[in-house]
Amino acid sequence: MLRLIDRRIGLLFAAFLFMLACALAKAGWLGVVRADDLRNAAVVQQNAVIDVPAQRGTIEDAGGQVLAVSEPAVTVTANPYLIEDPAKVARALSPLLGKPLEEVVDKLTQPETGFVYLAQKIPGDKGRKIKDLGFNGIDLVAEHRRRYPRAWSASQVLGTVGAEGKGLAGLEYSLDRTLHGRDGKRQVVKDGAGAPLSLRERVPAVPGKTVRLTLDAAIQDRTEEVLAEVGRQWSPKGATAIVMDPRDGSVLALANWPRVNANDLGDAPEYAMQNRAVGATYEPGSTFKAFTVASALEDGKITPQTSFYLPPTLQVADREIKESHPRGPVTYTPGQILEKSSNVGAVKIGLLQGRERFHHWIERLGFGRPTGIDLPGEERGIVLPLDRYSDSTMGNLPLGQGISVTPMQMASAYAALANGGMLRPPRIVSQIDGVPQPAPEGRRVMSPETARAVSRMLEGVTGPGGTASGADIPGYVLAGKTGTSQVAELGGYSESKYVASFVGFAPARNPRLLVSVMVDQPSNEIYGGLVAAPAFKQITSFALSYRGIPPE
Amino acid sequence: MVPVDTPTPPGAAIQPLNEPPPELSAREWHLRIDPLLVIATVGLVCCSLAALFVSTQDDVPGQPHYYVVRQGIYGVVGVCLMYGVSRIDYSRLRQFTYPLYGVMLSSIALVLVLGSVARGSRRWIELPFFNFQPSELGKLLLVLSLAGFMVNRMRTFDRQTTARAVLIGLVPVLLVLAQPDLGTSLVYVVGIAAILFVAGAPVRHFAVLGALAAVAASLAIVVPPMVGVTVFHSYQLQRLTSFIQPSSDPSDAGYQQAQSKIAIGSGEKTGRGVEDSTQVGLEFLPEHHTDFIFAVVGETYGFAGCALVLSLYALLIWRGLHILTIAKNLYGALIAGGITVMLLFQIFVNIGMTVGIMPITGIPAPLLSYGGSSMLVTFLSVGLLQSVHAQARETVARKGRAPLF
Repeated sequence: MLRLIDRRIGLLFAAFLFMLACALAKAGWLGVVRADDLRNAAVVQQNAVIDVPAQRGTIEDAGGQVLAVSEPAVTVTANPYLIEDPAKVARALSPLLGKPLEEVVDKLTQPETGFVYLAQKIPGDKGRKIKDLGFNGIDLVAEHRRRYPRAWSASQVLGTVGAEGKGLAGLEYSLDRTLHGRDGKRQVVKDGAGAPLSLRERVPAVPGKTVRLTLDAAIQDRTEEVLAEVGRQWSPKGATAIVMDPRDGSVLALANWPRVNANDLGDAPEYAMQNRAVGATYEPGSTFKAFTVASALEDGKITPQTSFYLPPTLQVADREIKESHPRGPVTYTPGQILEKSSNVGAVKIGLLQGRERFHHWIERLGFGRPTGIDLPGEERGIVLPLDRYSDSTMGNLPLGQGISVTPMQMASAYAALANGGMLRPPRIVSQIDGVPQPAPEGRRVMSPETARAVSRMLEGVTGPGGTASGADIPGYVLAGKTGTSQVAELGGYSESKYVASFVGFAPARNPRLLVSVMVDQPSNEIYGGLVAAPAFKQITSFALSYRGIPPE
Repeated sequence: MVPVDTPTPPGAAIQPLNEPPPELSAREWHLRIDPLLVIATVGLVCCSLAALFVSTQDDVPGQPHYYVVRQGIYGVVGVCLMYGVSRIDYSRLRQFTYPLYGVMLSSIALVLVLGSVARGSRRWIELPFFNFQPSELGKLLLVLSLAGFMVNRMRTFDRQTTARAVLIGLVPVLLVLAQPDLGTSLVYVVGIAAILFVAGAPVRHFAVLGALAAVAASLAIVVPPMVGVTVFHSYQLQRLTSFIQPSSDPSDAGYQQAQSKIAIGSGEKTGRGVEDSTQVGLEFLPEHHTDFIFAVVGETYGFAGCALVLSLYALLIWRGLHILTIAKNLYGALIAGGITVMLLFQIFVNIGMTVGIMPITGIPAPLLSYGGSSMLVTFLSVGLLQSVHAQARETVARKGRAPLF
């Protein structure tokens, strides 16, 4: 008996020593061998470096009207574990969050999670009210949200900003580096519940720069209204208008129809969100004839007085050139060819030029490559390489077929006619943080004499007997050219889809405004003179009086 | 070499009650109390105060020393109790075996009726000064009553004895389990086993009991959910399994253990000091004044602190086992064995849980964790150990026998 008990006490003692050794060994293992790891783990879970988003720069119009601005916003999250009375909290928050009560209750009572989003990017003042309520388990993250005060205006030009504060489209995308600023970094010490205890500014955030555009909000609005009217009247697929100051290439308005609300893109179709002034190409048609004439003049192949005998039709290789409105044989000057938009005449001049010179001029005028404006997604257009010209190509190109251009390319090439022969990349950014951005130099593509001569010829278009005779504005002399072209489809030209366009400038002798209107697939009527020219007239007459441009 | 008295008729006291303990002179007194045991207990209370000083500064707003002061008061009261109990001849308690058992059962049962609910369990009765936890006092009462019962039955140690002892012990175990307090009921089970073990129950009895316990436990886990009754709460099972698979969910037991290990590890060898103990200060460490206080020691004072606390515990247990060997009678040996093994179990489970070698059971560390009931009951238990020690010394002094070690 005694020996048994002694043995058992010995066993107890052995067990005790064993347990002691285990505990000591494990404590030593943690405290000595694994100390570095675990210390690191402590630092990692207690400290976090978070990005502090910089305030994004403002975009304003030429007169300082705000087009896009970032305002303080708050993202509200909740930890359902810490919510004591979900019904009460939900009742208080639901009006501030602008969400139905049931939805908030559902989120606050979500099981098995310590994190739910209640609302993203609500206005900062509502965030402050939520903070003042002081509920446990409700967290606020300071952010910015992008607002477009003129909601529908120029939305395709301005573009959008994504949830992470990166520009996704339009100027927001192309100017992202300027607008975004530099995000700051902040070190946060957290407690066990994840609440921040102390903040240390590591890198201060640098706000983005203010960008002033050349756009003028008033002209922009008027242009959009006019396009909306075009949309109502002709129900086209889309319409695009550019208003430009031809002297330095500044874009004063750039409108696309249908319009989208920049504050609520929702499910706007891809087509409507595209800035088609740079992102869509079309066959320019007759508006291109002005360059056919200009190039021949500059090369000395013709003079404004040269007479052309024009038969009713003309055979070029396998292609028969016809007029849109059949006529008998006539003799036209180049000016009359433009005024009547004679296809036969344009081809005759083109043939005089020859394919090498003509191709040279297409490239010289900037077709086939982006204009270089500060807008993303610019198309280059489609220009046939010289070695792929066929015998009938020269029956197409002089009248603007077989070549695709963007509205912006067309506007900038017309600006060269208007300003005396200088081709400049159009500009849309005028100042960054108050520092004027220099207008691009540009290059001379034709002599002032040639440009002036072609401008004179274009004056006839809006005059009596011209293709856009209804587009004249009393007191002003306008210059311009209509265009009507078929939409190129797979395997040829569509019989029913047309692009109606008009490009013109005013006053004709001292151009200070250039307006280009392109209407994509209007219904009922197809002619540029009927569909696009009235829109040109309305936009130009507003802009002339708005900018106080006197008649000559 | 435990002195066993000559068999006495059942019911009779081993030591005649008419033989009062002799008056002690100052010099004799100093011999009879075990100084090492005093050093261990007082040292542990000091460690507890130091750890509470670090971990509870921000727990009660405006009163940074709320817990430290209260724990200090418990310590002082505890030392007085310990001294008082050490002056009693524990053998006299044997005649109160059944009343003590009755007190234990009724106080634990009372808690089921009157107790305050905290986190889904009823464990405390709220008293004006502190929350009294009967299941803590029950540990001591169980040891006393079971030891008394065993001594009475010692003459005929057979299957019946073991079975009855287990049945007697099982009643409080089930009552505590109903609170529910799985950790404390485990301590009770260990106490019962320790007394049977020290009393010399045959190994085959333990084998049978172990098998029965395993069957009962599996039935308790598997069957009730099928009939729709909750015996074990899911959190209890989750705590037991989570130390195998920790997770990052802060409400989860595995997360608590991971944080505890991080705290001990980041203390490295000599600790991060009071100011820089961020695991504690930033409240990553859960239950930092009760269950996980050892991790506070680890982070603040490093491995050195851990080693000190473990050494003090080692001293405590060593002295307990030593007293077990020198007890003058079986009753004393059973008391010393029961108390010491219970303490050892609590220490090992708590510290094992903190360093990640045992599952989380919510057993506080004796003398280290904050808590009046645990603290006072531990001091009472150590007082009884001192009494066993003093009686043994006195017997030796009278009979001239030397202690074993």
